[in-house]
Amino acid sequence: MLEPSLDLYGATFDKVDVVLSDLLVKSHARYALIVDRTGFVLMHQRAVWAPKPPSLDSLATLIASNYSANAAIAKLFGEDGFRETVQQGTDVGTYLEELGDKALLVTVFDASAPLGKVKLFTKKAVEQIRFLLEGVDEPRPTFEPDQAWSDDTGALLDGLFTERTHP
Amino acid sequence: MSTINFSAREINFKIVYYGPGLSGKTTNLKQIYDHVPGESKGEMVSLQTEDERTLFFDFLPLDLGKVNGFKTRFHLYTVPGQVFYNSSRRLILRGVDGVVFVADSAPNRLRANAESLRNLRENLEEYNLRLGEVPYVLQVNKRDLPDAVPMEMIRQVLDPSGKVGAFEAVAAEFKGVVEPLKAVSKLVLEKLAQKT
Repeated sequence: MLEPSLDLYGATFDKVDVVLSDLLVKSHARYALIVDRTGFVLMHQRAVWAPKPPSLDSLATLIASNYSANAAIAKLFGEDGFRETVQQGTDVGTYLEELGDKALLVTVFDASAPLGKVKLFTKKAVEQIRFLLEGVDEPRPTFEPDQAWSDDTGALLDGLFTERTHP
Repeated sequence: MSTINFSAREINFKIVYYGPGLSGKTTNLKQIYDHVPGESKGEMVSLQTEDERTLFFDFLPLDLGKVNGFKTRFHLYTVPGQVFYNSSRRLILRGVDGVVFVADSAPNRLRANAESLRNLRENLEEYNLRLGEVPYVLQVNKRDLPDAVPMEMIRQVLDPSGKVGAFEAVAAEFKGVVEPLKAVSKLVLEKLAQKT
């Protein structure tokens, strides 16, 4: 059965989108992403003034993998996990908070955003999003992947290589 | 585990290339990257050591296009093959939908193939998965080696029941690279379609 990592759809999606926008305005961070722990981007926001972000797929995969590696390190020391992860370069840094047991909220910031503000508003955003997700009352959309869907998707897969391998 | 993102209208799958060190897992991903049109692939990420051995993983996202209004995306990963990187291998298997096991045809790697497959079974158990339940195929790479072990012998070691799809390959020449990817992906799609 196909299930979403988080119930982000309809009105809840729109409300979480507002939370991410507020987070960027208040913390002056560049980007805010919600990624699931297997490395897929669930949603994201970019500050209007921020430069174009790098590949979000790559970013999400590296963040999720880094989180998993850090959790494994924590486990070596008998910890349940590191509850927050900060990485700071000369110009850019990332701050990560757990969002339930399936997702992560990541804030990417630069030198114009004080780390304290980034932490504070990211933690607040996590609480707001948790509250919104707990209050979801609209029915979850459904998608039934039947044999026809499987066949059509398989055909797309066949076509992916046809052009280059058999010109 | 395949996931759906209703807001982005995406369905996502994770395929992992597993196998012993230097069997050609990264070569598979590089060849796929080189042969897939630009609009259907994202950046390839490789976390390697200085001598170009995989340290954590390689990653390549593929975008198949839309069916029924939903975009289908496959994220391809490799694991580090060297024995001592088992923690990394286990982490990469989280949420796996399908596995391509890349075996090495060299006679002195027969045992390494078997040990890597056993290691795959053990690591899947960490996620309460059994190899028989996860779609997977076998790619027997480096078939151009002059002393390549016969396919039958490799199959006897890795798949004595003969139930798993097996493909001969010379991944460095893009031979036998596409077929196992298509085969495992279709198994993943069919498994999902049968569940509903």
